[in-house]
Amino acid sequence: MSAHVTSMRDALYEAPGPKTRRLTIILTSISLLLVAIGIGLVVWQFYQTGQLDAKYWEFFLKPSTWRFLGEGFLGTVKVALTSGAIALVLGVLLMLGRTSGIRPLEVVSRVIIDFFRGVPSLLLIYFFFLVIPQYGIKMSSFWMIALPVAFAASGVLAEVFRAGVNAVPKGQTEAALSIGLTKGKIMFKIILPQALRIVIPSLISQLVVVVKDTTVAYVVSYPDLLQNARVLITKYDALVSVYFVIAIIYILVNYAINELSISVSRRMGQPIISRTSENPL
Amino acid sequence: MSIAEVLEQYGDKYLAAILTTWQMTAIGFSVAFVLAILITILRVSPIKPLRLVGDLYVQIFRNIPGVSLLIICVYALPNLGLLLEYKTCVMVAVILLASAFGSENFMSGINTIGVGQIEAARSIGLNFGQIIRLVVVPQALRSAVLPMTNLLIATMLTTAIGSQVPLNPQELTGLVSYINTRSVAGILPFFISAFCYAGTAVVLGFIGNAIDKKVRILR
Repeated sequence: MSAHVTSMRDALYEAPGPKTRRLTIILTSISLLLVAIGIGLVVWQFYQTGQLDAKYWEFFLKPSTWRFLGEGFLGTVKVALTSGAIALVLGVLLMLGRTSGIRPLEVVSRVIIDFFRGVPSLLLIYFFFLVIPQYGIKMSSFWMIALPVAFAASGVLAEVFRAGVNAVPKGQTEAALSIGLTKGKIMFKIILPQALRIVIPSLISQLVVVVKDTTVAYVVSYPDLLQNARVLITKYDALVSVYFVIAIIYILVNYAINELSISVSRRMGQPIISRTSENPL
Repeated sequence: MSIAEVLEQYGDKYLAAILTTWQMTAIGFSVAFVLAILITILRVSPIKPLRLVGDLYVQIFRNIPGVSLLIICVYALPNLGLLLEYKTCVMVAVILLASAFGSENFMSGINTIGVGQIEAARSIGLNFGQIIRLVVVPQALRSAVLPMTNLLIATMLTTAIGSQVPLNPQELTGLVSYINTRSVAGILPFFISAFCYAGTAVVLGFIGNAIDKKVRILR
């Protein structure tokens, strides 16, 4: 829904003449009617099945409900930020490994990156939840969700960082080499600071994936937003209303993060690198 | 457990699981692909309400967490008088998510074409249908190869939400949880599933890259 989308959309059509304008108005009214009928049918279905009854919605007026959901939301934020931070560090390390020029290190980093990118985060969560305890390692539910989510994100972030590094003009490396800087110095003093700046909007948009991944926290019974919602459901016996409200909260949060990354991207003049990031879960 | 033991005991289950994952991925991606085209048509149509519906659809399903959507399909819809099978629920969730991202891929494919080309096409007298058929669609499809490959892989990873409901046969993630709750099987069952996923992803990525190299438009 960004601005450049609209311009291309509108460019497809010539300025309409009177006939086309009339046709557009007719089609617009018909489609409006269809949309209204669609919404009406959904509301009717809610009404028919009794899901609009006050008992399913009135507890949303209680402050205690929102305090409890707020706690869950805070849990989600904590996990998401922790995972994000770990993934940042891991992602940079993996990227450095992959671009190090040392063959074995490159291969290992590449395998790790491909592994984390190619495996569902749910599988990683089951690894921390079911497999690790078998080796006698005790972990709190917080880390059982934070670590797998971080690992899953690190593979993608490594590729995002690599794209950032590649976006720094080659001439700079050549210039730095010619004045006698070592490879390490070039990476840390010249390339990396610029690359990190370039990928800031992409990193923000990656946060969406992290937030989505944390929703599986109920598997390890960590009290995040979804887990607390499940508690509410048993308390008030109101399944439909709670799940819909929770879904809307997640959608709004992720939408806000996306919009933030778009606006930062526009302000910095840096595109969002998403070739590696279509990960809808 | 050694790898021989795991494979002897659960080998046929793994075979069924990887086939299930592949099948769900293939069906999910194909349906999502078609749906994405339809959504994209809505989004570029000159009719405002349809554009809005398309945009809203994409914003909802690219931002909703997969598990949350699955839970709604499985637990909330029956209360609204719509009872779906578990597997159908998983497929519905996967398709809704994937189609939203697919439409985003098409939109950015269309956007890379640039307004100038459309103006040029119009100035040499091509009509709307010709512009779409000869200028927009070929370029949008060609630049969508790589994002669509990523979407195919992402679709496969998303089918892992199938582990949250009882499926028969199970898919790869659900199987790991099944094996580990029945026996102390250690790290192996996890790695077999992970290898199946990552291996498939690498192969798909390789094919996608090869196609992309062939059809990519150098600008």
